[in-house]
Amino acid sequence: MGLELFGSMMKEEWRLHSTMFGSLSFALFPVLIFGIVFMSSFLLPLFRAVLPAGDLALIITGVFLLLGVMVGGFGLLGNEVMNRRFGQMSLLAYSARSLPLSERYIFTNFVLKDIVYYLILWVFPFVLGFAVASPFIGVPPGYPLLLFASLTLTFLFGLSAIFFLSTVYSRSKPALAIIFAAVLAIAGWAYLSYGTGLADLFSPLQLLHNGTWPALIESCVLVAIPFAVSIALFTPEYTGTSKRFSNLLTPLTGKLSFFPYPPLAAKDLVDLWRSGGGVGQVIFSFLLPLGLIWFFMSVLRALVPDYAVLLVFAVTAGIISATMYTWITSFDTFCSYACLPVSVSTLITSKICTFTVLQVIPAVFMVVVTVITGGILYLIPAMALWCAFSFYSLSVSIYLTGLTPNVLVYDVKVLLAFMVLVGVPVMVIIALAFINPYFGIAALLLGIPAVGLVRKGYKRWEGKDMASF
Amino acid sequence: MVMVIESQGLTKQFGDTMAVDNITLSVPQGSLFGLLGPNGSGKTTMIKMLTGQIRPTNGQMTVLGLNVLNDPIGVRKSVGIIPEQETPPSFLTAMEYLAFVGAVRKIPDIDEKAAWWFRFLEFEDKRDVLCKDLSRGTRQKLMFAQAFLHKPVLALIDEPLINFDPIMQRKVKKYLAEYVKSGGTIFISTHILEIAEEICTGFAILHKGKLLYSGAISELSGKKQHLSEFFFSQVQDD
Ligand SMILES: Nc1ncnc2c1ncn2[C@@H]1O[C@H](COP(=O)(O)OP(=O)(O)OP(=O)(O)O)[C@@H](O)[C@H]1O
Ligand SMILES: [Mg+2]
Repeated sequence: MGLELFGSMMKEEWRLHSTMFGSLSFALFPVLIFGIVFMSSFLLPLFRAVLPAGDLALIITGVFLLLGVMVGGFGLLGNEVMNRRFGQMSLLAYSARSLPLSERYIFTNFVLKDIVYYLILWVFPFVLGFAVASPFIGVPPGYPLLLFASLTLTFLFGLSAIFFLSTVYSRSKPALAIIFAAVLAIAGWAYLSYGTGLADLFSPLQLLHNGTWPALIESCVLVAIPFAVSIALFTPEYTGTSKRFSNLLTPLTGKLSFFPYPPLAAKDLVDLWRSGGGVGQVIFSFLLPLGLIWFFMSVLRALVPDYAVLLVFAVTAGIISATMYTWITSFDTFCSYACLPVSVSTLITSKICTFTVLQVIPAVFMVVVTVITGGILYLIPAMALWCAFSFYSLSVSIYLTGLTPNVLVYDVKVLLAFMVLVGVPVMVIIALAFINPYFGIAALLLGIPAVGLVRKGYKRWEGKDMASF
Repeated sequence: MVMVIESQGLTKQFGDTMAVDNITLSVPQGSLFGLLGPNGSGKTTMIKMLTGQIRPTNGQMTVLGLNVLNDPIGVRKSVGIIPEQETPPSFLTAMEYLAFVGAVRKIPDIDEKAAWWFRFLEFEDKRDVLCKDLSRGTRQKLMFAQAFLHKPVLALIDEPLINFDPIMQRKVKKYLAEYVKSGGTIFISTHILEIAEEICTGFAILHKGKLLYSGAISELSGKKQHLSEFFFSQVQDD
């Protein structure tokens, strides 16, 4: 019974994604990762000259931790979103409720399915790419195996930690605040006493360095505990509350009257607020990933000047800020507008406005980061870089995906196009900013192609049938 | 006779499926026109094309004299639509949804109009409940109200009665019949033949995407035939 449910969920997940994005494009995703890693492995000897092997391992560990956090954040919160989008009926996790199985059991299967799925999609191809390249670059044959164990556990730790935090979040918000405070306090204390050596205490990383059994066991425990606690804390959420809400939409529509389409913008904000995604999403899909990126980037401080780290961070923050577009597009299908006189381009315009309002969050975040890291001198270029890349990446997403930016994560063709369209300006502008930080302000010129891309996007998506899911 | 809907050779293909196959149809103003047909015969696809939600593979159509392909927004401004799936936005309350539709359609006095609908369809107690927590029947009521909020000259409604209890069905049938008497036109898709026979003035039968028959209900009474007998004879010859 158990295996059957699990197996059917896997099939369902595959079909869901492959019908949305075309199965070939989707199947190519792991192949793409494999290819990229395989080829970049050959650059490793070059990297080694500038970057000590330990730092490289640290960065890769950071990437996989981040991946776990993102999959956890997007995946678990994201699945919630998916359910809304496809209607609860369409997902097995929901229809299985009519089977004689406990909610917790179904949910455990659901989470395990997600884990296996993303392991196959991301972690396996990564390690395989490296493993295949390793004989050519003089890496000992056992190392890929160790890397595999370490990265899998790192990924799982990120996922299980987020899973734990989001379960706590759904149970009690004050408890989450206390846990955050405690973690920050411990991390701060540890940072003061160990410095950047702190990261080496992370057991999956120790496993990679030393390859000992205790490190392996410790890592497994590190993954298993938050996971088990979360499953134990899980409370099935029964829909069908008859809670009453007073009319927020009408007053908000009035307040947003300076917007081009006040009711549409008001609806987006009400959706975000009521879905409870607001705060959770800011924490899990924005602050936490960026915090991690900042931590791992600070490793680079040994190699490049501080301001360079800040500017690269500003660009990264810009690209991550652009993912807020997915927050405001995931709540409604076009179906809810299909019976109204609203065109796709109107809707996109309105989403851009809502997006702009949401950018207050990263704007404040960037100012705070710049100030506390002592980069106040570079506040203007940092803000220019962040802002330019946020809106430019948004325009690329709109052009490539219209109102369904989630496609980006899975469709290889679209993802490649995104990487090229964003990657090239990133490199050019970072190079400029490294010459003189103030040249980074030139990034604002990206506004011109951004407007062009959005215009093209309107034309492109207006001509297509409205998404029928 | 003025025609509010006219289609010529309308065709929609999804991959290998001919969902709607070369349909030429006209609907006169002031009629309550039933689009009948078994599951999967193309009724929903027809309505989606006529309201500019999907583009036909082939063919032309005008709705209220507007070319739907050139001006889908213009068409949707004037008509009222009840989509097949009753999916009001999850996180708005019933009242907020009507206010939203009112704001988008720029309907004056939306509060009073909404209040009338809550009373008429008997769901005042659900005004402030989120749409995702409403029962299917209540969601359908909301979609019904939404479509008629601006008193459209033409409403295209897809299986609007299917989730209603018999009392509500009777109420709504009466409303539709009166709506047409007062000058509106209604294009209704359904496979509940009794409803069609009771209220429709004209009808068309679709089967596997093809138009089998189109005419006035009165033609049937001339032949002393019930709509259901006629429907089965048409659909089964095939
Ligand atoms: N988006 C789509 N993609 C592929 N096929 C579709 C799509 N929409 C409809 N079809 C197919 O087109 C045909 C007609 O479907 P349609 O929904 O118009 O039927 P219907 O008459 O409304 O049926 P019902 O009475 O069950 O509502 C069916 O065979 C259906 O499977
Ligand atoms: Mg239908």
